[in-house]
Amino acid sequence: MNNLRNSVKQFLGKIMKNIKTFFWNLRRAVNNRKKKISDFLDRKNLNFAGKFPGWAKALIYLAPALIVLSIFTFWPIINSLRLVTFENYNIVNNDITGYTVFGNFIKVLNDESFLFEASHTQGTAIMNTLIIVFISVPISIFLALFISVALNSIKFLKNFFQTVYFLPYVTNTIAIGLVIAYMFKADGGLVNQLFGLGKFPWVESGAEHWRSMFVLIFYSIWGSLAFKIMVFLTSIQGIDKQYYQAAAIDATPRRRIFSKITVPLISPMIFYILVTSVIGAFKIYNQIVALFGVTGKPDGVDYTMQSIVMYIYKYIDGGNNLSVAAAGSLILFAIILVLTLVQMQVSKKRVHY
Amino acid sequence: MFNKTLFDKSNKLEKITFIFDVLAIIAYVTLFIMLFNTLQLPPIDPLTGEIVMSDIETYPLNLVYRFMSFDLTYYQLNLLISITVIFMLVAIPMLAINIKKLRTRTVYDVNSYVAGSKFVNAIINLISFNFVGSILRVINMFVLVEFVKGYKPKEFFKSIIPAIKTKIKKMKEKNVEIDEDIDDQAVITLKKHIKHQNTASAFRLMSTYLFLVIMALIIVVPFYWMVITALKNYTSASSTNPEFFIGLSRMNWINFKVVLEEMNFGLYLKNTIIVAIFSTLGTVITTILSAYAFARIEFKGRELLFSILIMTMMIPGELYIVTNFITVSRHGLGWIGTENNQYFLAMIIPFVTSISYIFFLRQNFKQIPESLYKAARVDGCSDFKYLVRVMVPIASPTIFTITILNVFSSWNAYIWPRIITGIGGEEAKAYWLISNALRDTTFMLETGQVMHNLQIAASTLVTVPLLIIFFAFRKYIMNGIGRSGTKG
Repeated sequence: MNNLRNSVKQFLGKIMKNIKTFFWNLRRAVNNRKKKISDFLDRKNLNFAGKFPGWAKALIYLAPALIVLSIFTFWPIINSLRLVTFENYNIVNNDITGYTVFGNFIKVLNDESFLFEASHTQGTAIMNTLIIVFISVPISIFLALFISVALNSIKFLKNFFQTVYFLPYVTNTIAIGLVIAYMFKADGGLVNQLFGLGKFPWVESGAEHWRSMFVLIFYSIWGSLAFKIMVFLTSIQGIDKQYYQAAAIDATPRRRIFSKITVPLISPMIFYILVTSVIGAFKIYNQIVALFGVTGKPDGVDYTMQSIVMYIYKYIDGGNNLSVAAAGSLILFAIILVLTLVQMQVSKKRVHY
Repeated sequence: MFNKTLFDKSNKLEKITFIFDVLAIIAYVTLFIMLFNTLQLPPIDPLTGEIVMSDIETYPLNLVYRFMSFDLTYYQLNLLISITVIFMLVAIPMLAINIKKLRTRTVYDVNSYVAGSKFVNAIINLISFNFVGSILRVINMFVLVEFVKGYKPKEFFKSIIPAIKTKIKKMKEKNVEIDEDIDDQAVITLKKHIKHQNTASAFRLMSTYLFLVIMALIIVVPFYWMVITALKNYTSASSTNPEFFIGLSRMNWINFKVVLEEMNFGLYLKNTIIVAIFSTLGTVITTILSAYAFARIEFKGRELLFSILIMTMMIPGELYIVTNFITVSRHGLGWIGTENNQYFLAMIIPFVTSISYIFFLRQNFKQIPESLYKAARVDGCSDFKYLVRVMVPIASPTIFTITILNVFSSWNAYIWPRIITGIGGEEAKAYWLISNALRDTTFMLETGQVMHNLQIAASTLVTVPLLIIFFAFRKYIMNGIGRSGTKG
């Protein structure tokens, strides 16, 4: 029995070996042929592959990305500058009534509920956006700082808390927004129930502007904490332990450690987060849609919660006057550009170790 | 010193246990699917072709459900489904954690706590009807006890009571020691100081934890409320006094069935998965290729091109959307608004590349030493081969992070799909992605009230896959974001 098995094994082994040698020989032959061809080409000075210039090679690698980017990123930048000069651009029949230079910008700025309040509604796009920027961004940065310092000071359950705080990052803004709106419902909502507020309307008919704004700010902070905590925690963990040991020897109180060691040392990261979250707050849109609907105006209230981006999308949605949308987005771009430049200047002077 | 054979035996036992764990999980899943299919929707109204929404609450209550030759009431059926879901929720993470532990465990990691955790696992298996797994785990525990302490099972049972006694004795001795040596004034004051400091630090720790717990509650409560509401029926979801807890038999799993089948969320989920897969595939390929070009290939104007790309990151996406809308519509590429509706193309192609990911991956590629590239070139490795064989494997964690983040962002895409499908009218509804379906579906009763329980059930359906992916790949996602500081 054993003998038979051995002989079968040997036989199979031989076959396998033969097949392997065959393929190796084949490969060697092909390579030889290749080498001969390339030698021949070299001799005749015909080998272009060896002289392939860098940019051509790079172009092959970059082509897929560059084609898509040029259609959907670079062309829009040029085209939006072209679009704002059109008067009443209509997407359906692709025609315009004339050309203007500043007409569309003036139209945006004069539009009711963008910069100036309309007679029948409270709240403008600029005002709402600025409230979000100047209230929710500082609060969320401070909260994130405190949480990440607290997280850094504990050992037990640290990973658990870190995971929990990260949860909002991986959720769908619309889905959780619907839940938050349901939690703030006047009749039988969780918040009114917990705090015994009765039938206090937050986001429905009968609510006031500041109440809806409170819910929006709460939701935007809730959603943006995760990313900030993660970045702050990583940079705090990167601080040299010696600073803290020196502070511990001097029995420095925790408040002073926080303000004199932790914050200055991670100030570059804080400024980075400040820039990105201010820009993000200027682009707030999904949260408003989730809480207040596509129009940004809950049923039966006399105010609007629309932001700058929502104003822009209002014009894209109808497809009737895309020039105004382009003008609005250029204004948004200008605001973001100015803010970024200012913050870069400030951070150059103020961020220090 | 270590008994290697016992350790190997324990590992082998653990591997056999996994087979039964997997079998149990398969059983739970099939049971869940079968039970879920047993749920019956109300009959379709012949006039509208849809079910009457107000029937959802009353109709299933009075039915008798037949499942494997048992007659079940609605509440019993719901109880069974809830139990299978809980079993799945316990068994799948347990299996994942155990496999991970087994892979990383060495002889030095094994102590009595590992044996104890085996016992706890065995009890959990016993409760979730995985009897074979439970028995195997108990045997494994005894093997580990023998490995750690050298006790055979009999000796182990005998040793339990003396061990507890000695432990109590030790604790008593410690207490006595502290009380004994009060000598002079200096020692007393020193002790007072230490005590004071200890209470202060304990208080500080307590307040830290309190702060963290409160913030964590604020984060978690919306999720909890979402799951609870999704399982309520319409009456209790819209009642003035909402319930904070909900019994296992009162969970209305039919809500998910209504959302998936009647509200077409099954179709929307499918659409979203298609878009997510293709746009992610495209993003990964284009990102790897162009990051490689920017990191390794030298050509004129490389830095200039790259800085132009970086600068475009500052421009708000709304600016692009205005023109992109024209580009994909009738007067541009004609993907939408014409007879041949190529909604998927219009949703995928603009997002098959991302500058921020190119930037992120290029940083990672640059960290790979240049000498590796030169060595490969000397050995006759072509550029493309080097990229595929060397660069991609080294940077695979980053690429994986990019993949997951891109899947997330296309799962959550809202505005672009909505604008595209917004002009198409009724037939464009078949191309909705979940986010705009969530916002634009009317979860209305015939009387005009919003059915919050169904709306929130749909939200849960959208959120749960994200959470599953997050918990499965937590390390990659959190590390990637902490390091890069990029937000998709």
